[in-house]
Amino acid sequence: MNGKVGIGLRRDISKEILESTVLKPNFLEFAPENWMGMGGYWNRIRKEAVEKYPVTCHGLSLSLGSPEELDWDFIRELKVFLDENQSSIFSEHLSYTKSRNAHLYDLLPIPFRKDAVDHVVDRIKRVQDFLERPLAIENVSYYTPVAAEMTEIDFVNEIVEKAGCKLLLDVNNVYVNAFNHKYDAREFIGKLPLDRVAYIHMAGHEQVAPDLIIDTHGQPIIDPVYELFEWTIQKMDPVPVLLERDYNFNEIEQLQSELDHLKSIIKTHWKVTYESPEGKTSSAEPSGVHMATENKDIT
Amino acid sequence: MKLHKDTEKIQNLLGDYCRTGVEQDIPGITPGRVHHYRRLVYNVVRDTMDTAFPITLAALGEERWDMLVQDFFSGEQPQTPQIWKLPFEFYQYHANQETGTRIEKPYLDDLLYFEWIEIEIHTMPDRPFPDFSQTGNIFKDRLAFNPEYEIVRLEYPVHMHSAENTSELKGDYFVLVFRSPETGNVQFLNLSGLNTYILTRLVDERIALNDLKGDIAHVAGIESEKYLDDALSAFIGDLIEKKLILGFAKKTN
Ligand SMILES: [Fe+2]
Repeated sequence: MNGKVGIGLRRDISKEILESTVLKPNFLEFAPENWMGMGGYWNRIRKEAVEKYPVTCHGLSLSLGSPEELDWDFIRELKVFLDENQSSIFSEHLSYTKSRNAHLYDLLPIPFRKDAVDHVVDRIKRVQDFLERPLAIENVSYYTPVAAEMTEIDFVNEIVEKAGCKLLLDVNNVYVNAFNHKYDAREFIGKLPLDRVAYIHMAGHEQVAPDLIIDTHGQPIIDPVYELFEWTIQKMDPVPVLLERDYNFNEIEQLQSELDHLKSIIKTHWKVTYESPEGKTSSAEPSGVHMATENKDIT
Repeated sequence: MKLHKDTEKIQNLLGDYCRTGVEQDIPGITPGRVHHYRRLVYNVVRDTMDTAFPITLAALGEERWDMLVQDFFSGEQPQTPQIWKLPFEFYQYHANQETGTRIEKPYLDDLLYFEWIEIEIHTMPDRPFPDFSQTGNIFKDRLAFNPEYEIVRLEYPVHMHSAENTSELKGDYFVLVFRSPETGNVQFLNLSGLNTYILTRLVDERIALNDLKGDIAHVAGIESEKYLDDALSAFIGDLIEKKLILGFAKKTN
C-alpha cells in the first residue's frame, strides 16, 4: 500500500470504481459510518469493493476532542467493521463532532490548550487499546482558532508524542490553514514528526473570501498543494496517499487524471511501481519502506 | 476528567452556536469566521433531510420545511453517529412534538414515516432467506416469503394521493414495502385490509393458504369458493411476480 494512490468510496462513484474502466485507484478509503450496519444494495457494493481493492478506513464520528465520554457501543461496532473489511489503516480527525451529547456531523476545532491535549491523548490511547490497532490522527482544517493557549503545531505534536499514535497528514489542510491563519505551510510540515505519518490526504478546496479558504473536497487539487505535496514526500518514507473528493463527480476522467498526477509525483521521489490492473491481485508493496510506515505496523 | 471546566464550556458554546444558530460569546476566535461553522453544520443536516424527505419538502414549502429542520436540530440531541439514520430521529422528533397537529398538516407523521421507510427498507441489515423450491401448489404448500419487507399502517393515504389531498381521507391504509432480492430496490404495494390479514397470518402462523381459506371466507363474507380461489390466486400470483413470495417453503423451514 505504501506509495499507492487511493480514492474515497463514495456512493456517487461506486459504480465507476467497481467497473474500473476509467477510474483506477490502487485502494479505497471507507468512512465506516457510511457503511456500518447496512444491508441490501449498498452492502453488496461494499463487499464487491472489499474483494476488489485493499481498504483503509477514515472515521467521522469518534469525536476525539469532545468533552463527553466516548461512545463505546459505536466503537465496538467500528472494531467489527474494521476487521471485517481488513482495513490496513484507521484514521480519525483531531477535532470534535459532538457537544452536549448531540452529534453535529462536522469537524469543530478543539481549543489548542494543555488540558485538551491531555484529554485527547487519554482518549486516543483508550481507543487504540480497544481497537487493537494504532490510530492515525488527522490535522484538520479550521477557520478560526478557539481560545487557544498554544500554537497548532505544538498542539498536534504533543498529542502525537504523548499518545504514541500515528499521523494522517492532510497536505491540503496544512495549505488551507497556512493561508487562513497566515503561517508558512512548509515550516509547519517541517516541524511535524514525519516519521509518524502513516497516511496522506490530498484534496481540493474553495476560496470564499480574499482571506479565507474552505476545505470543501469538491474541487480539483490546485498546483500549490501538489507542490507542497512534492516538497513533503521528499522528507519522508512512502505511505499510502488518498485523493479526497466528496462531491462534484461529473468528471470521472478528471479524477483519474488527479490520481495519475499524484502517481507521477510519487514515482519521482519514492521507489514505487504501479502495476496494471491495480488492486488486490497485484503485488503492491514497494521495496525499501521504512518500518514505521509499513502496512503491518499499522494494522 | 482531564479537560478543564472552562475548556469544556467553550467547546459547548461553539457546539450550541452550530446547533441553534444563536450567537454565543466564544472567546479567542477570529472575527467574521465562526459563522462558517454554523453554515457548514446546518447545511449537512438540511441536505440530509432534503434528500430523505423530498415529498414532505415539496408539500410544506421551503420556508416551513426549513423551520421544521431548524426546530429539530436545535431542539433535539441527534444520537446517531451515522448521519444517514438521522432522518428517522427527525421523524420521531416531530411525531413526539405533534408538529403535524400544530401546523395543521395532520398527514405529516405518515408522510415522514412513509419517506423514511423507503430508506430503512433499502438499507436495513440483510435478513436470512428461507430455503425454497420453485415448484408447488399455492393453496396446499406453505409459501416462502422474502423476509425483507414491512407492512406500514397509515392514517392518511399519502402513498396514493398528494399529501395535501389526504387530510379529509383519514382511515386505515396498509402498504407493503419490500426490497427486491435481485436489485435491492424498494417497492411499494397498496394492500387492502383483507390482504393484510391474509399476508400477516400466512407469515406469522406459517400455514398454507388452504388452512386459512375458511377464516378468509368468514372474515370477508365470501360464499363462492371459486370467487375466493380466483381472488387468492390473483393476489398470491402478484406477490410471486413481484418477488415478495419467492416460492414454496421446504419442510425444514
Ligand atoms: Fe482529510
